[in-house]
Amino acid sequence: MIPAAAIALLLRLALGALLIAAGLLKLRDPTAFAAEIANYQLLPGGAALLAATLPSVEVVVGASLIALPRAWRRGAACAALALFVMFTGAVASAYFRRINIDCGCFGTGGGPIGALTLLRNLALLAAAATVLRLDRAPAGERPAPAVSG
Amino acid sequence: MVSVITRALCLLGAGTVLGLAVNGVRSDGVRFARFAPPSVCTMTVAAGEAPGPAPVEALAPQDAAGLCGDPSTLIADVRPAADFAEGHVTGAIHLPCTASGAAASAAVDLFAGRRTPVAGPQTLIVYGDGTDDARRVADELRQRVRRRDLRIVVVSGGFGAWSQAGLACSSGPCLHCAAPAAVSASVTGAPAGAP
Repeated sequence: MIPAAAIALLLRLALGALLIAAGLLKLRDPTAFAAEIANYQLLPGGAALLAATLPSVEVVVGASLIALPRAWRRGAACAALALFVMFTGAVASAYFRRINIDCGCFGTGGGPIGALTLLRNLALLAAAATVLRLDRAPAGERPAPAVSG
Repeated sequence: MVSVITRALCLLGAGTVLGLAVNGVRSDGVRFARFAPPSVCTMTVAAGEAPGPAPVEALAPQDAAGLCGDPSTLIADVRPAADFAEGHVTGAIHLPCTASGAAASAAVDLFAGRRTPVAGPQTLIVYGDGTDDARRVADELRQRVRRRDLRIVVVSGGFGAWSQAGLACSSGPCLHCAAPAAVSASVTGAPAGAP
């Protein structure tokens, strides 16, 4: 049986690398990425701001998942979970509105949104939740819970 | 758990600040004041084969007017706002090339059938000053909508031909257009049948 720590390690390395790659690809052309965001028609006034900040957020969160100590890694997993909730919501919105736009998941030309895009995002969301759950200090290293009375 | 959320917020904040700083120093960074969201005719549609409607058809005004009484038919006017205000086919929504993508999405929602009382196949009639301007918007919307059973037609000759044929428009009675007019009001926010 694969220990939970090994699963957490593999998942956080994979998620970290994916977030860094996605962020760097989006950084290549921020204006085109802003247009991709605007195509979703969810935040008409916020597309430019999101395009400027989201790639760096992904890189920071991805690097933190890989390189920082456990306490900060758990924070990064929580941040990644929030990002994937946002991404999945946006993709689901476009999918169920049946509009034909590029995903923009890896910058421009990421391919049209389909059921597979939605499933992939749900899988990433589950992976981030799993890292948050499994990447904990061993039981002996955790602080003892406060005893009342 | 509180410390996890606090650290998550710190990381998100650090990424945001870093992103703003990098964007500020980049010569090709996105400019907040100058960025223009895509309009109906500049929207980016996904490449590749999309399960969209059949190719756009061209119909004579008389034939297009025959669809007018069908409550599952939506009419879109792509002419400039001033021309639309002077007169348009009763019940038409205003959807020019320069309309925001949000307006197009609202129209797409209509085509998808979630904001109309009528389910099933629908027809979109697009008209402009002539045939070409209507076809441009119609082609863009066709790429945008993933729906095989949506029929999209353009009116040959545009609004001029429609008016010359003496067909229903805002200056004349159109008793059969009551249902599409109600749909129009839900998109444009204008009273149904208003010029």
